Amino acid sequence: MEALRAEHVSKSYGTGDILVRALDDVSLSLQKGAVVALLGPSGSGKSTLIKAIGLVSRPEVGRVWMDGKLVLDAGIPIANVGALRRKYLGFVFQKANLIPFLTASQNVEIACEIGGHADPRRRALELLDYLGVGHRASALPATLSGGEQQRVAIARALANSPTLLLADEPTAALDKDRGRSVMELFARIAHEQKAAVLVVTHDHRTLDAFDVTYEMEDGRIKSA
Amino acid sequence: MNLALLDVRRNVGRFFGTSLGVALLFTVVLAMAGIYQGLVDDATLLLDGMHADVWVVQQGTRGPFADASRLDPSVESRVATNPHVVSARSFTYQVLQRERAGRSLRFALVGVSWPDDHGERLPLIAGRAISQGHGELIADASLGLDVGTTFVLADEQFHVVGLTRQLLGSGGDAVVVATASDAQLIGDDLPPDAVRTERERRVQRLLATDLGNAQPALSDLLVDPQWRIPALARPPIAAVLVTVDDPSHIAAVKDIISTWPDVSAYSTDDEKRLLLDGVVEKPRKQLGLFSAILVITSSVLIAAVIYMMTMDKTHDIAVLKLMGAHWTRIAGMVLQQAWMMGIVGYALAVAIGSQAFPHFPRRVVLTEASVAAVGALVLAVSTIASVLGVVYALRVDPGKALEG
Repeated sequence: MEALRAEHVSKSYGTGDILVRALDDVSLSLQKGAVVALLGPSGSGKSTLIKAIGLVSRPEVGRVWMDGKLVLDAGIPIANVGALRRKYLGFVFQKANLIPFLTASQNVEIACEIGGHADPRRRALELLDYLGVGHRASALPATLSGGEQQRVAIARALANSPTLLLADEPTAALDKDRGRSVMELFARIAHEQKAAVLVVTHDHRTLDAFDVTYEMEDGRIKSA
Repeated sequence: MNLALLDVRRNVGRFFGTSLGVALLFTVVLAMAGIYQGLVDDATLLLDGMHADVWVVQQGTRGPFADASRLDPSVESRVATNPHVVSARSFTYQVLQRERAGRSLRFALVGVSWPDDHGERLPLIAGRAISQGHGELIADASLGLDVGTTFVLADEQFHVVGLTRQLLGSGGDAVVVATASDAQLIGDDLPPDAVRTERERRVQRLLATDLGNAQPALSDLLVDPQWRIPALARPPIAAVLVTVDDPSHIAAVKDIISTWPDVSAYSTDDEKRLLLDGVVEKPRKQLGLFSAILVITSSVLIAAVIYMMTMDKTHDIAVLKLMGAHWTRIAGMVLQQAWMMGIVGYALAVAIGSQAFPHFPRRVVLTEASVAAVGALVLAVSTIASVLGVVYALRVDPGKALEG
């Protein structure tokens, strides 16, 4: 079952002589339960692809399906972007990006609230326990270690049981062991939650944790 | 989950520091409203305290408070003969400043018509009404005089026999009540040098006439302190206060008296309107403009603080947007913070004002209506002030969350 299918997605920046084709007719498919790496040098189009798939920026052309439903047609979202994000997407960033004035559980709870959960507090605590940071539920982000922050951020991304988890260099700020631990966590989530996980990474130490690896260059997918 | 409240809790010091600044501005806005209300109250206290139905004043003037009015004392008896008139009382009014025990006392001296009016209708808080035709005063407590205090005025001894509270003239000066004749005695009192100058002026005027040139000996009479010119009239009064047998007859009595060529007649409501339009109008505009400037300043301050607080949360807002947060949640967070700042500032302003205003030299009257009106204004100002922050928040690109 496909979690994501993208076809002929293209996006350019600039005009005339300084036109840059950030995405050039990119197509890819992610199965549910798969952990997929997106590799490539800086400027190859990885972040642009993540933004396009995450409905953060609009490509000029292309179609995107999530969980078998068309969500982007000719570069235009077919419904309210916020609603689509709530239903299909979860994001994990390079830095945890936790809201600093909320505790660990509140950071997850707010995502559950936004997703419309009947008991967001309970759901948040369940997710924190699932990710092994339940004991830090009432801690503010500033008092959490980097690894704990990233686990809370992953719990937040899972709040609404997304079809697709998009992670932008999630291990960049972590040491080797913690980085590997996070990647193992993604694999577990993908298999247990039946979500596809697309990870933008430069970290070749953890490539063995991925089911599929895409490599991008000059806005195109060079190899899979 | 209330994001606005949680954010404020994290920045509680900065939030309350800013709210205190806002509170001080709102305190001044409250003070302006209170000073205006105080002006209105002060201006009408004496008017109401005299319990007259119709005020008869000099023709064409708006006296005796909004304008100077001089009436011949005979008007009192003329008015008294009208149908439906129960009583007609002389009234004099002048603002004086005198020294007592090394202290300068400024007061509005009101003369009431003795023996018809003893001042018994005044709001006495101590002592009694006037019981003698001469030498007794009722004073407002704000002058700091006690019952039994002796006060030398016009070289005569006056005793304070009664005290009122908050009986003030239209200019906010404490009122001192005496019989009309005592009030004229005090008001017309001239120092010896002025008396001599006046006598000299009379001689000069006499000598400028044919009579004076033909009979220069007449000038001896003019400078004789024992001699009074028979033709001199009794000193004028400021107004005649009329009490009518039934309120339904006020208009009729007023209409009749208004036909006389030498006087104007006003009901108490007319008099109040004239007073407020004349005496209070300019201060009202002045206070209104000050208040407007302060309200604008408060708005700018709140807007700047809320804008900065929103900018500080740019990344958090981007993350919320990526989570799919509805725009109303994000706008609501900014708006609620502006409201919180306004409400905390307003509450502090009311608390500061209620402690500080009683010590102001002029009365600051905070009515429920004015406090509620300022409260509504604060809410409106906070809402308007949040617009910049809301617009900024709604324009935050969710992609910023991906930028690390």
